[in-house]
Amino acid sequence: MSTNDPDKVWPTGLTLREAEEVHSYLIDGTRVFGVIALLAHVLVAVTTPWLG
Amino acid sequence: MFDYKTFAYSKLRGIAPRYLPFADVATEEVPLSRLLRLSLFQVTVGMALVLMVGTLNRVMIVELAVPASLVAVMVSLPLLFAPFRALIGFRSDSFVSALGWRRVPFIWKGTMWQFGGFAIMPFALLVLSGYGEAVDAPRWLGLGSAALSFLLVGAGLHTVQTVGLALATDLVAEEDQPKVVGLMYVMLLLGMVGAAFAYGALLETYTPGRLIQVIQGTAVVTIALNLAALWRQEPRDRVRAQAMLERRETPQFADSWRALTALDGAIRLLVVIGLGAFAFGMADVLLEPFGGQILSMSVAETTRLTAVLAGGSFLGFAIASRVLGQGGDPLRLARTGALIGVPGFGAIILAAGSGDLVLFVAGVFAVGFGAGLFGHGTLTATMRRAPKEQIGLALGAWGAVQATAAGIGVALGGILRDIVLALPASRALDPATPYLTVFTLEAVVLLMALIVAWPLRALDGRPGRSKSSLKALTPMSRPASRSEPDTGLSNPGPRPQEVS
Repeated sequence: MSTNDPDKVWPTGLTLREAEEVHSYLIDGTRVFGVIALLAHVLVAVTTPWLG
Repeated sequence: MFDYKTFAYSKLRGIAPRYLPFADVATEEVPLSRLLRLSLFQVTVGMALVLMVGTLNRVMIVELAVPASLVAVMVSLPLLFAPFRALIGFRSDSFVSALGWRRVPFIWKGTMWQFGGFAIMPFALLVLSGYGEAVDAPRWLGLGSAALSFLLVGAGLHTVQTVGLALATDLVAEEDQPKVVGLMYVMLLLGMVGAAFAYGALLETYTPGRLIQVIQGTAVVTIALNLAALWRQEPRDRVRAQAMLERRETPQFADSWRALTALDGAIRLLVVIGLGAFAFGMADVLLEPFGGQILSMSVAETTRLTAVLAGGSFLGFAIASRVLGQGGDPLRLARTGALIGVPGFGAIILAAGSGDLVLFVAGVFAVGFGAGLFGHGTLTATMRRAPKEQIGLALGAWGAVQATAAGIGVALGGILRDIVLALPASRALDPATPYLTVFTLEAVVLLMALIVAWPLRALDGRPGRSKSSLKALTPMSRPASRSEPDTGLSNPGPRPQEVS
């Protein structure tokens, strides 16, 4: 089992580096959407406070 | 013994590609349905433009009672991002990806920004206007968040449009590019017209809740349409990925820019684009108030005026697509467009004197038609001139110049009218004078564009750019990936190994 071979194509059809890149987009998206959600919540809380 | 592992792997291999966002293999012919799907990103750009420049412009002033000057600043914030289109295009040209992607990551990022901007925009606007408990909120919070949301949407839409156009150019052969340009323009126009009607109907009775629904609904529609547009368009390319990874020095923007502008007439073409976009952009905002104030048309009639302008542009795109598809010269077409625009403005100016509505509408139609020919011609010319590996930068430069010039034109058109209106001498003058000043200026700028464009004629008709010589010049594009069957998912990997 040659897990260190960067050119090995895994059953997903991706090599390790390709899979890492796809994953990086996922992580990136989560961060951006997370920050946006946080900001949106802050702004809503300022307009109509729900925490007393 | 039945080998479960191999069986499972082969099943997995069969399923996975269907759920991954890659095009199978770079194919010779991209079907029209796929191009139509790709052009959906233009619909979201059109939606965003209409929402910010048209709908929110009004809602912020009338319903939210935000000072008009502040609204003007907010609405023009996305324009700040327009010059960066060249940089975005360049970055997508020189992007390093293990998947061999150049365009998809940028379109996705742009979509996220667009979505994010729309997601926070309604609340930012409500805080800005001091709605509810936000009266006590610090001023900077409303200002900052509203500015951020407009900037995010602007950054997103400029990125999506630049890189989306580059992707479309990548996908089709050179002789099909005019069709794609026409399609992209028509979809942008359709998105804008459709969105204008939809927003008008949805915001007929304004409530803060409705505003939130409409803007956030736009966010959701944007991300859905852009995902649909993006899905499996750009082929994964291991050969290109390898070349990207092995590239020693990262290309510099300044070098690429110099290489692009060193091409014969590149700067001249950009100047022509800027002048033309400026002149045609100036007309956009002034035609309706001009029709209403000077020719005493009703609101319904002036709204139809916009339809006449758009209809002229549609016809311009259609004819341009046809002519250029048959091997016409894009720059000659652009010159024709500017040439038609000049008498168009002339007719509008004459109509003010005689009050002739038919002449006015004909002039508006001519201006729309000329703008259509001009836009299509210059964009196609830009695409054709760009070297394969600099398409992103070339289209970015086109977009940067076009969007900046049109935006300045729109702003300056209104400002200039107001300045002439405020001149002490103007009280004695005809009320049409401020408008006529601007329209005359537009005709003059168009003439300048024509003069600058004149020498370009000798360059573009070069017969040396036949298809065969072009193919030979572009070793690293679709032909390369076609001859390498391993780039497709169905046939994974340059070095297929036994899965053990």
